[in-house]
Amino acid sequence: MTTRYDLIIVGAGPAGLSAAIYAARARLRTLVLDESVPGGQVKTTHKVSNYPGFPEDIKGTDLAKAFAMQAERFGATIRRAVEITRHDLIGPVKSFELDEEETVEAPAVIIATGAKPRDLGVPGESKFKGRGISYCATCDGAYFEGKDIHVIGGGNSAVEESLFLTQFARSVTIIHQFDHFQAEAATAEEALHNPKIKVIWDSEPRAFVGEGGLQSLTIENVKTKARTDLKTDGVFVFIGYVPRTDLVKGVVPLNKWGYVETGEDMSTPVPGLYVAGDLRSKSFRQITTAVADGTIASLAAQKYVKQAVKPVAA
Amino acid sequence: MSDHVKEITAAEFEREVQRAGQPVVLDFFSTECPPCEALAPKFEAVAEQYAGKVRFLKVFRQGNRELAEKLGVTGSPTLIFFNRDGQELGERLGGEDIKRTAIKAQVEALLA
Repeated sequence: MTTRYDLIIVGAGPAGLSAAIYAARARLRTLVLDESVPGGQVKTTHKVSNYPGFPEDIKGTDLAKAFAMQAERFGATIRRAVEITRHDLIGPVKSFELDEEETVEAPAVIIATGAKPRDLGVPGESKFKGRGISYCATCDGAYFEGKDIHVIGGGNSAVEESLFLTQFARSVTIIHQFDHFQAEAATAEEALHNPKIKVIWDSEPRAFVGEGGLQSLTIENVKTKARTDLKTDGVFVFIGYVPRTDLVKGVVPLNKWGYVETGEDMSTPVPGLYVAGDLRSKSFRQITTAVADGTIASLAAQKYVKQAVKPVAA
Repeated sequence: MSDHVKEITAAEFEREVQRAGQPVVLDFFSTECPPCEALAPKFEAVAEQYAGKVRFLKVFRQGNRELAEKLGVTGSPTLIFFNRDGQELGERLGGEDIKRTAIKAQVEALLA
């Protein structure tokens, strides 16, 4: 079975859903595909403080739901938890096979698949994923009531999520590779004043150790090279993201870090194919910049669809 | 919940999983867990496909913490695969990126 749309957007994060809102309001038949539920990285962020329009902090999961509801209100279809099993982005009609069962196609596609948490690449990490190492504080934080846990990283996510984890844990020790946080100053100050939070600067994890479950981690001071074993009840990893470019690899140019190079209007060398959000090569990756990318990609795609699809004479 | 996925508690674990006489896929889930929400429709779709051959069960982690700890489950969601003798087989699947095809591949291994 093949269903035809005017625009297919892959990825229901802030970029994809902003694109969907604009496209649906322009009366394009708009389909959004996501392998998870809508929201992208926002849905697992415990609170968002820097998105305009919300004078109080908003829960990431609530913001994610609001984005999706707004897109659906204007008629965009959001397909949740679908797996793309085949795809063709090159021709004038682009198509996706979903769950090996059905095909959807459209003249224009916006890829907004974002980024996923970066792995540390440290021995023991894959063994203890889900057995002591977590990448989602809202999912697993509540199970660490009264426990001593460690957070790897020092950017916004790491420090924000550490603050969230202090609600449950007895202590949260942040291990950061530099001698200061990369997080916004307001967040960094709050963490440094929190009595439950301790920071070990200039250090990186080197190994995760345990029988059955995770019991300790080995860290190395990057300046002195001294190694220390730390007993732990659990480790949360927030060390940034890697772009999800599986769909566009070999189709559009990537920069040396693996991000997609686009034009200012989010276009790629492939006519009708646009890329928006965190997987794009740019200086800053925020919810607001993803929303801007999605808006621009949608407006450019609308223009393309109107030119590419000449109305058929009745 | 769907007709093909049954929720159990720790008290039922032995009967429903270890002495089920059928392969079992067990999903530990939590509330406030978007990856768990994302997994649910995929889990149900695979459950429907293997109805009668493999049992698909879920356990609420918050309500059954001791069982989760006993099995070494510290992340939600976590999928554990048991053969018809109640022994764990294959890899556990967890996190945000559990693909329908990955669940199916492990289920096929249980049936082999």
